Amino acid sequence: MAAYVLNISRIFSREVISASFQFHRYRSCLQRLPAVKPNLLTHQFTSSAACWQEAEVHAAQTADRYKQRPWVYLDSEEYVERYGSSAVWAGYRRNHKGGIPPQKTRKTCIRGDKICGNPCPICRDPNIIINHQNVKLLQQFISPHTGMVYDPTLTGVCMKQQKKLNEAINKARDDGLLPFQIPHVDFSGEDYSNTHDAVGLTSPPPFLSPSEPWYKWIWILTPGVHVNAKVHVFEESLLTLVAKVNTCIQYKLVTQISTDMTCKYT
Amino acid sequence: MAALGTTRCLFQSFYRVKDLHRIRKTLFRCNARTFCDETSVKGGAKPRFTDAAVQDILTRITGLDLQKVFRPIKQEMKPPTYKLMTDEQLEQAIQFATEEAKKQLQMPPVLPERKPINEVLAVDKILDGMDTAKYVFTDITYSVPHRERFIVVREPDGTLRKATWEERDRLVQVYFPKQGRKLMPHVLFKEENLKTVFSQDRHEDVLNLCLVQFEPDSADYIRVHEATYEDLEKNGKYNLLRSTRHFGGLAWYLVNARRVDGLIADMLRRDMLQDAISLVSLFHMIHPHSESAQEAASQQAAGTDLLKIYSQKESQRSGYIELALQAYEEKAAEGSAS
Repeated sequence: MAAYVLNISRIFSREVISASFQFHRYRSCLQRLPAVKPNLLTHQFTSSAACWQEAEVHAAQTADRYKQRPWVYLDSEEYVERYGSSAVWAGYRRNHKGGIPPQKTRKTCIRGDKICGNPCPICRDPNIIINHQNVKLLQQFISPHTGMVYDPTLTGVCMKQQKKLNEAINKARDDGLLPFQIPHVDFSGEDYSNTHDAVGLTSPPPFLSPSEPWYKWIWILTPGVHVNAKVHVFEESLLTLVAKVNTCIQYKLVTQISTDMTCKYT
Repeated sequence: MAALGTTRCLFQSFYRVKDLHRIRKTLFRCNARTFCDETSVKGGAKPRFTDAAVQDILTRITGLDLQKVFRPIKQEMKPPTYKLMTDEQLEQAIQFATEEAKKQLQMPPVLPERKPINEVLAVDKILDGMDTAKYVFTDITYSVPHRERFIVVREPDGTLRKATWEERDRLVQVYFPKQGRKLMPHVLFKEENLKTVFSQDRHEDVLNLCLVQFEPDSADYIRVHEATYEDLEKNGKYNLLRSTRHFGGLAWYLVNARRVDGLIADMLRRDMLQDAISLVSLFHMIHPHSESAQEAASQQAAGTDLLKIYSQKESQRSGYIELALQAYEEKAAEGSAS
């Protein structure tokens, strides 16, 4: 409460800043702060309480009007009066310590109901709404020569609004509202006959002959020499094993036959 | 004994199959040869987009405006370079620029719509109900061209089938992303949004984006191109595509649809008589059985006579063409007199 009163007195005491800009900023502050009952105000402010309320109502109405169709504001008189023909971010200066500004602008200007001192060009004017259909506003943040989006350190926009801006620009380019440079496509080396088995009809598999591959697109890999040697050793061991098994089986068969024969003839 | 018998049977079957294989191969070769013969015969009757004569005419009609081809585009800016050149060096530089421009104006292919892929490779009933999702198996070997890449889908009910064209395009874009192409196509390509873009006269942008996004034989590519050409023809804004790579496609589409009147009128309005004559000759090449073509062939017409025959026999807006021809002849007469 006391802090609020102190803020108001500070605003009224500063007469260097132009009256209209001050009033606009004050209006934006009013929108974000809770409504104050006139009974609590001191004698100084009772006369202007009524016009404050009017201003608040008016501001709320305009914000609603521009919410549905944000591009209308950029053609309106108040926009021209405030910005003229220059961009929304022209003339904005960041406040920072030292000569070199930080590489990233502030994270956000508005936290809950509070707005920071010296808000960024988009946050300071509540009628400016970032929307993918608001092409005139988006084009102010794209370089007319290179087609690239300006860095936030140049425009002064806070990081939250910059992210929204990037998304809106991408959506506008996707919808075709914003023109952009399209890469050149070369069609020289392509084959569009669609005869390959992958995209055409696969012929039924022929009878498997040992010399020919199954399909034209299978190529037989010949393994390296060292692999061959290992395979050779493995094959040899397998063969000996198979031979052993065979002999066992033969022996078993012979013994079975002999037992059968003995059973038969006894 | 039995073993011998089995081996003999195997050998017999082997040789039979080998013969079959040889027979099939020769059949294939015969078929291929006859196919070639047919196409060469057809080549004389029905010229295709890729024929040399057709391409020559289309490149001539497209024109080569160096100022339009090399207009400044929005890209990373570098400081400009200045060169001091003699006249010869300047001519060489202009020649080099024209060659570069010709490469830029290379026409994209005009293909018939691709046939859908509906092939089932195997049905494994044992896998029915094992999973709730489809599995897609893609061959990601780097050196294989995309049109020879195997992409198969295992459905939850156990069928193993080849992926459809849309699935193929999407997956190839996932594993081998192409610059400028998006997984989901731009919203711009829907009917309503195309109208807004056409009202802003951005047909060239739409066509360039279509080339980047879609394959030349896909349905979307053909649909977008047809919509653009229709809009251009309706409003007579042919000059937007002149000296770009899309003008050949536009001319080809209009000639095949037999609606060249607007284009001829536009050419005559801009005093491009030679272009109009080439266009009419292309029309006669593609529709040799039409009245004007037969009349022209019988009279061996050339130059403005071709145009007159065409305007009398074929066109719906003959009045305008004849007026324009008269005006051109008067101008030519004045020019020669003075």
